[in-house]
Amino acid sequence: MRIYRPRTAAFVWLLGLLALGFAGSRLLTADWLETGFLALLPATEQQPEIAQAVRQHNELINGKVICLTGAGSAPQAIAYAGQLKERFEQSGLFKDIRLQVDQQDFAKRYQQLFVYRYQLLDAQTRGMLLAQPETLIGRNLEMLYSPLGQLQAANLERDPLLLFSRYFNAQNPGRFTLEQGVVLVQDGGRFWALLIADMADNKLHLDNLDVLRELMNGAQGRIEAAGGELLATGMPLFTAEGSHSAQREIAIVSIGSTLGILLLLLTFRSARPLLLSCLGIAASTFAALVVSIMVFGKIHLLTLVFGASLIGVGIDYALHYFCSSFSSENWAPAKGLQYILLGITLDLGTSLVSYASLGVAPFPLLQEIAFFSVIGLIGAWATVVLLFPLLLTGFKPAHKPTMLRLTNYWQQHWRVWLLRNRAWLAPVAIAAVAGGLWQLTPRDDVRLLQSASTERLAADQKIRQLLPVRADSQFFLVSGKDPQDWHRNEQALLARLETLKQQGAMESYDGLSRYWPDPDTQRDNYHLLKRTFYEAGLLKRYMAELGFDEQAIAAEQQRFKAAENSRISLAEWLDSADEARKIHWLGCDAGRCISTVSLTDIKNLNALSQLNDLQGVRWVDQATQLSSLFERYRTSASALLIAAYGIVLIGLALKFGWRNALMIISVPVFATAVSLSMLGWFDQLFSLFNLFALLLVLGIGVDYGIFFFLAEDERSSTSLAVTLSAITTLLSFGLLAVSSTAIVHAFGFTVAAGILTALLLAPLVGKQTR
Amino acid sequence: MIYLKALVLFLLTVNVCMADELLDQIHARLTKATITRGAFEQTKQLKVLRKPLISNGTFIYHKSRGIAWKTLSPVPSLLLISDTRLWTEQGEQPVPAAFGKVFQAMLGADLSQLATAFDINGTVRKIAWQVSLVPKDEMMKKVISRMQLSGDHELRELEIFESNGNSSILHFQNIIHPERLTAGEEADFAHLSP
Repeated sequence: MRIYRPRTAAFVWLLGLLALGFAGSRLLTADWLETGFLALLPATEQQPEIAQAVRQHNELINGKVICLTGAGSAPQAIAYAGQLKERFEQSGLFKDIRLQVDQQDFAKRYQQLFVYRYQLLDAQTRGMLLAQPETLIGRNLEMLYSPLGQLQAANLERDPLLLFSRYFNAQNPGRFTLEQGVVLVQDGGRFWALLIADMADNKLHLDNLDVLRELMNGAQGRIEAAGGELLATGMPLFTAEGSHSAQREIAIVSIGSTLGILLLLLTFRSARPLLLSCLGIAASTFAALVVSIMVFGKIHLLTLVFGASLIGVGIDYALHYFCSSFSSENWAPAKGLQYILLGITLDLGTSLVSYASLGVAPFPLLQEIAFFSVIGLIGAWATVVLLFPLLLTGFKPAHKPTMLRLTNYWQQHWRVWLLRNRAWLAPVAIAAVAGGLWQLTPRDDVRLLQSASTERLAADQKIRQLLPVRADSQFFLVSGKDPQDWHRNEQALLARLETLKQQGAMESYDGLSRYWPDPDTQRDNYHLLKRTFYEAGLLKRYMAELGFDEQAIAAEQQRFKAAENSRISLAEWLDSADEARKIHWLGCDAGRCISTVSLTDIKNLNALSQLNDLQGVRWVDQATQLSSLFERYRTSASALLIAAYGIVLIGLALKFGWRNALMIISVPVFATAVSLSMLGWFDQLFSLFNLFALLLVLGIGVDYGIFFFLAEDERSSTSLAVTLSAITTLLSFGLLAVSSTAIVHAFGFTVAAGILTALLLAPLVGKQTR
Repeated sequence: MIYLKALVLFLLTVNVCMADELLDQIHARLTKATITRGAFEQTKQLKVLRKPLISNGTFIYHKSRGIAWKTLSPVPSLLLISDTRLWTEQGEQPVPAAFGKVFQAMLGADLSQLATAFDINGTVRKIAWQVSLVPKDEMMKKVISRMQLSGDHELRELEIFESNGNSSILHFQNIIHPERLTAGEEADFAHLSP
């Protein structure tokens, strides 16, 4: 390092930062943060067209917010819904808010279909015609004679067989009532008015989610204060809560960091190390952020959280540098750098190896985190090596901080005590660790990621009780090379679903081909009617018995004849369909038509997933798929972690020899084992995300080992650096253990247990010189 | 279609207001009981048909469980209506409240609800009474122009005049107020329990 020139180095650093700043000023104004969980799915996992269809489906439902306002009377419930609608409109968050059904419009759209009544038969009517046409007459009479019959009879003149009312009723079953055009559900003595809104931004950006959360909380407060109730559910609300609690967790970390800052101030009695540490962290995080966005376009919120955590190792480089100033009387920045350079470079090497190994897995999140943390660490190292020597010019604390005496005392006596009691300590520790590992059970359920509050979950549950809400993440994709082919495939699926429904596998299912028969079926329907009623004289008999005159019967025969060749295309049918139906259609392109078949209240996932082998049918279960993905990636990330240990061990062995390398690496190995066994003892979540924490434990543990190994006669300043590092790490990431989000909690817990163990074991490394 | 849809989906407001004096007087005359059982004869006059549709059967009203409407002739069928549900052998349907509420109100002698949804006119004599209901709601008016009810200590006759010219007359006979439901009636109402 004789050719080292602090000014030149700092200039190089500054140039680099300016370049990043320039790039960042353009990149960071664009939309760069991804928050949806669906973005975590690997793009290559399935056929791209399936992935595309799933994405399309998700976009259709992603922005939906479903609200029910409840009150003791219907007008009150509607009034609350009206207020809510007003608030929604003012917020500008939504592109479509549906409260009142425009009945005129609704009826007009259905009117389009009336012309095709002979072609559009519902399944039940078709079944009766096929089996025994007379049953249809019986059912019609039943309808006409019932005290409610006047409703159906409204069209009796133009539709004597009541074909269209049957078709219409089959499409709109259920027990909802409309009042003032608002859909009402009654539950005991309570009335609920339904409001459905679509977010204008279905990518669910963070700012919008915050506004949405405030909006919902405000509305809920207002309605509850007036004595009403508000239930709301939908992907945006869950995501909003998730990102909100993530933000709160970041706030917890910042409280911890403040305490860490105070500790640094007390130790060095100078603001310089503190400011430099902050500068180092800020610069490396910034570099990681900008470069990652340059490479990936957009990065996920989880990348930011875990990536920034992994960069935390970087603060150790700075701490080692500062603490080395206590090691000798004639310390100077250049000399200090010389002293720590080997250690921190080795540590950078090992951390880079372990973090980069994450990126091997074809999982977008892992790749992003690996890349993010590698860039961040290089940034942290470069800042310490290039910038600090210049900025530390003239820095030389004259005092011996209390912390230094404490840590020195501690590292000496603790080591002695450990060694003296090793005869019983070792077996006890090994038994305890083994016991914990024995109890360790992985849990990969992706639903654990959702940090929804119990109130949100309860509201969701209640809404699903009151309304047939379709399962968002579990559905069938049906495809065909043209509308006919698609129709055939979906019909085959629906037939199987009907059987499963009878067996109670789910509450209901819905698909477009239930309502739109393809042209062949339309022709068949017409001919079925022709054969059974219009040509066989059954129509004449039925109409005559009912009391129609000859003229009316002839007119109906005439209408039927005229309709022989009319066919309704899918496009025309969709035009008259309402939102709940249209949402099933994903469109046709390049010789491929795709629709979804939705389900409500699924009870037997297994039976449904077995329908996957039907022609053109694909069962999509995003939650289970993602969970199994997490499981697979947990397994491969575990393998990668072990591989990382192997590589680090080989690297250390080449430098220090096998014996020493084993001694150094035993620190993170034991720390990891203790951390895992603690997860087992305390029945904590063990999933992919704990492995990030274990990587951090590897990085930091090796660091402690290397520094104590290289310390020789500078053990006291090294122990100060290691202790400060451990305390700051615990205060920041360890504090995440109090988080309510399961994965963040797991991360914090794992880090805390691992770092504490590493801190306690590190003094055993190296030789005691004094 | 508009009418059909509107009627199928319409639900009366249940805001409880002060009952009319007229309604009070009728209320005073009606028998108050938990259960009302009787026979009915219904004559439906549809414009497009040359002859009326005549049917008869029995009904049972239970204050908390709803109404079971059993047509015996010419086509046997069962219809069950509660506050929130409407069940027929052909499936569940939305509750057309114009029907449900009026029946509940009359058979249950709870007339206060009617005043909020209808303009009310009528005459009350010593025992007999007669009342005419005209829907207040515009949408409702498009379907039903007027309903006419008459009776004494029971509801005896209900006439419904639809806006399109169709009409129905219902006659109620043999009205009694038993203490409890028969096993068969219990079984019928069981269809309405979730």
